[in-house]
Amino acid sequence: MTTTSTTNPKISRSWLVLLLAGAFEVGYALSVGGSEGFTVLGWSVSAFIFFLLTLYSLSVALKHIDVGIGYAVWAGIGAVGAALFGPLFFQESLTPARGIWLAVIIGGLVWLKLADSPKIRSRKTVAGSRSVRPDATTSLPG
Amino acid sequence: MYMQLMLFSVYRKAVMSWFYLSIAVIFEVAVGLFASKAKGFTHAWWTVATLASGAIATFFLGLALLSFDVGVGYAIWTSVAGVGIVIVGALFLGQRLDWKKTLGILIVIGGVVGLQLSGSA
Repeated sequence: MTTTSTTNPKISRSWLVLLLAGAFEVGYALSVGGSEGFTVLGWSVSAFIFFLLTLYSLSVALKHIDVGIGYAVWAGIGAVGAALFGPLFFQESLTPARGIWLAVIIGGLVWLKLADSPKIRSRKTVAGSRSVRPDATTSLPG
Repeated sequence: MYMQLMLFSVYRKAVMSWFYLSIAVIFEVAVGLFASKAKGFTHAWWTVATLASGAIATFFLGLALLSFDVGVGYAIWTSVAGVGIVIVGALFLGQRLDWKKTLGILIVIGGVVGLQLSGSA
């Protein structure tokens, strides 16, 4: 974990919102699965609500997170969640092979979070030392 | 003659499902770009574009998955869209990624592909 003094609150909040977007995406995937081609009303309504929630929170998160990272995390959490919760709701099971792939995804998500932490970003700016502005380490793109 | 007709029909079905999958990928890439532009749904037109693209992507993915194996179709869809979004982000949003972020994205997308291909049975 990075210390709170170097963590940019905007980035941290965006990552929380991105995790939330991933959770809504799981709800969307499960609802679409349950709606059986949007023929079951309850699941269809639930799918529509999750559709709005997941895209809204994704859009909020992408204000401060690069879209390539945001999309991978969003889709990654969606896939992990659907694989974990699918067996609870539908006739699915979690095989050892799928468990290993889940671990790969989760490892990649943690790696991405660390690579996107402002601490690494500011260290890079200092190392490059192309800018002498005092606010250079705190300024963010976008 | 009948064989030829049948072959043509099978061929056409395969072409159509790849066509549907391509449309689904293009609109999924658009979802990423537009959701970024919508800035938390504060820009009305980008918001409308995001929602419309999301709906179109889901619709065509559904059509494509009628003939593709669900795991295979979904794996192709997310992986191509994920890479496409990185490219679109660099071209239209000026978001160039360093090797660490690129590697992380590849690990996550690779994991999703592996998960989908290993089936759910």
